[in-house]
Amino acid sequence: MQKTLDRLLTCLAWLSGGGTLLAVSLLLVFLASHGMPGIDAALFFGDTPWLDALLARKPIFGGIWPALVGTFSLVFLASVFSIPLGIASGIYLAEYASDHRHSLLDFMVDLLSGTPSIVMGLFGFTAILALRKTFLPGARTGLLLAGLCIGLLVLPYVIRTTESALEGIPDHLRLLGPSLGLTRWQNINKVLLPLAGRGILSGAILAVGRAAEDTAVILLTGVVAHAGIPGSLADKFEALPFRIYYLAAEHRSPQELEQGFATALVLLLLTGLLFLAAVLLQRSVERRWKTR
Amino acid sequence: MCAGSLALAILSLVVAYPAALGICTLVHGLARGLSARFLLALVHFMTSIPTVVYGFVSVFLLVPRLREWFAVGSGFSLLAAVLTLSLLILPTITLVLHSRMEQLDPTLRLAAEAMGFTPVQQVRCVLLPAAARGLTAAAVLGFGRAVGDTLVSLMLAGNAAQFPHSLFASIRTLTAHIGLVLATDSQSMAYQSVFAAGLLLFLLTGAVSLLIRKSGGKNRGL
Amino acid sequence: MSTRTTKSICRVALVVFALILWSSAGTASAAALDSFAGLEGTIDIAGGTAHIPVMTDAAKNIMTFNPKIRITVEGGGSGIGVQKVGEGLVSIGNTGRALSEEEIAKYGLKSYPFALDGVAVIIHPDNPLSGLAAEQIRDIFSGKITNWKEVGGKDGAIHLFTRDEASGTREVFWEKLLKKGPIATGANVVASNGAMKSAVAQDKDAIGYAGIGHVDQTVKAVVLDGVAPSQENAMNGSYPVVRKLYMNTRGEPSKLVKAFIDYILSPEGVAIITKSGYLPLK
Repeated sequence: MQKTLDRLLTCLAWLSGGGTLLAVSLLLVFLASHGMPGIDAALFFGDTPWLDALLARKPIFGGIWPALVGTFSLVFLASVFSIPLGIASGIYLAEYASDHRHSLLDFMVDLLSGTPSIVMGLFGFTAILALRKTFLPGARTGLLLAGLCIGLLVLPYVIRTTESALEGIPDHLRLLGPSLGLTRWQNINKVLLPLAGRGILSGAILAVGRAAEDTAVILLTGVVAHAGIPGSLADKFEALPFRIYYLAAEHRSPQELEQGFATALVLLLLTGLLFLAAVLLQRSVERRWKTR
Repeated sequence: MCAGSLALAILSLVVAYPAALGICTLVHGLARGLSARFLLALVHFMTSIPTVVYGFVSVFLLVPRLREWFAVGSGFSLLAAVLTLSLLILPTITLVLHSRMEQLDPTLRLAAEAMGFTPVQQVRCVLLPAAARGLTAAAVLGFGRAVGDTLVSLMLAGNAAQFPHSLFASIRTLTAHIGLVLATDSQSMAYQSVFAAGLLLFLLTGAVSLLIRKSGGKNRGL
Repeated sequence: MSTRTTKSICRVALVVFALILWSSAGTASAAALDSFAGLEGTIDIAGGTAHIPVMTDAAKNIMTFNPKIRITVEGGGSGIGVQKVGEGLVSIGNTGRALSEEEIAKYGLKSYPFALDGVAVIIHPDNPLSGLAAEQIRDIFSGKITNWKEVGGKDGAIHLFTRDEASGTREVFWEKLLKKGPIATGANVVASNGAMKSAVAQDKDAIGYAGIGHVDQTVKAVVLDGVAPSQENAMNGSYPVVRKLYMNTRGEPSKLVKAFIDYILSPEGVAIITKSGYLPLK
């Protein structure tokens, strides 16, 4: 009986390991083989000459450049909202909060990180409708709203990594400041934050990656299929993940389908690079504490 | 639609959870050294693959195959969504399990080894029981991720608002309902139902967070 | 050898002809686009997905002529068109059906019909069937007939595709062809005309419905009771499942939006409408 169980578990282990490896490599190979041929200047700029497109002298049709710009603006906005707020909350949670408040806030953060992104989008959409009915009748769904909602979505990532980066600092370093007569804030500002810097940064990068890939939030807060490069914060916008979703359902020709594959590959490369950066930073943090 | 959401989430968990257990067994027992590190790196990498990419590839790789192999329905089905979604929540579950097993006292493991346990026995008789609370937390967290996902079900499940009576049936989840129907005009029942669905989802994931707290773990938002 | 030369001559002739057409279109557009000179601002368009090809082509011409104008186009379905334009979230809401009395009264909407479109039943091009009776289609969509064999096709389960609740195409199809009969709950739901076409084009046993303007060689339009769903038959009234395509604004449109609507109704707009496979109204 025990033997059979062991054998079963061994089987399951190798099967699941092999299966996962197979599934992921299948996904990557399929995407690369279909997407690679489609990556060229036309993918990004359509028929528009690239210089005109980059300088926004001419609008772009059929290219993913506006979607790329849209995604970058979205990520930028989300970072502006979530990173300072997240780091501040993380510091508060790790260094200031009393036990009672800590557990309450902790639960709030858990709640926020568990909220599905479509619910976050619905929240944004409802907020705009409410704003329009009350004191801001001109409010529309657009870049600003989407950025805010995504910022809210990735906020827990920043809070959590900041908190754990601070908590991960060894005690002898943590006590160094106060023993030299530094105030609490001086200690955080001059000793702890610089020490936790890389850990916090890796969390921020992960948050950026999450912001770049989310589709459900923007689905309800102002993404459209054709918009060009956004001119202001209130404008509707295009975004890479939405473009992939859109092309999957309504490609009108084999060329558009190929563009879909190429776009998916571009997005994967983007998030993959961000992920790699975060991992490398994390590694260097770990190595730093180990050498001591 | 509630039934659709639950069926999809539970079935995905049924597929992904044993796989996550298996991977942890590999990493902590059977495969040591380089191959274990590689497998872990792979699982970490999977977290960075965008959901929409999983969905996109499945539409063109998985759905046509399902249609040909089983010849039941159009391929856009509960099954297609389950397979893809389980791949999506696999890293979440695996990483929670892994971190719990890593936090265990290393002497526990040494003691087991000294008593002559094989690697598989170590995992089965010592490590897994010791990480029991982590087992629950990982399951609950995976369930939360699965219920909250929109894109996979919207792209793959077929979106028919009916009771999921078979694996090959086309189903609609709460999340996909919100995405699909926010469209209809503000007077109809469907429009109201979007907000009901949103509230329900929020309560569901709130309950998940509460459960994770109860099981003593922190939701690190993996 | 000689056939090859004639072929290449033909090809050259075609290219020359296309060039002439293109250049004449270019001069025509300059005239039609003049009303956009000096204007700037944003037009947001949402709603009926059948309209999207016309709207994006028009937007492309206008934005190339005057880059200071931004035009965004999104789908969602006719329902979203009414709601968004009514709530003031977009400037133009498209519908593939006439507005209801309540909708006009509630939001004070103004309608601009611009094209006629038929709704065709579509199947995969490899499906040997070419025609169906209206009664058969009703039975297929209600779920009474589940195998292609029962309507004279090859043996195989029928895969139903329908549209979401916000769709105007669905409403017209349901009213005029299904006579408000039931649609099986197990039918797959897709979110736009384009998505319907690509879903049916990928599935040999699929049946769905889409605006005739969206039908191309990747899908086959089913002959209904002996009448082919062509734009001619839609125009002369022999094909019964037709609807008009509308642009709607809340109250009087602004100068820029008015210019856009006039452009769609101008000869240049008519050319775009025809190119997209729809019938201009005049």
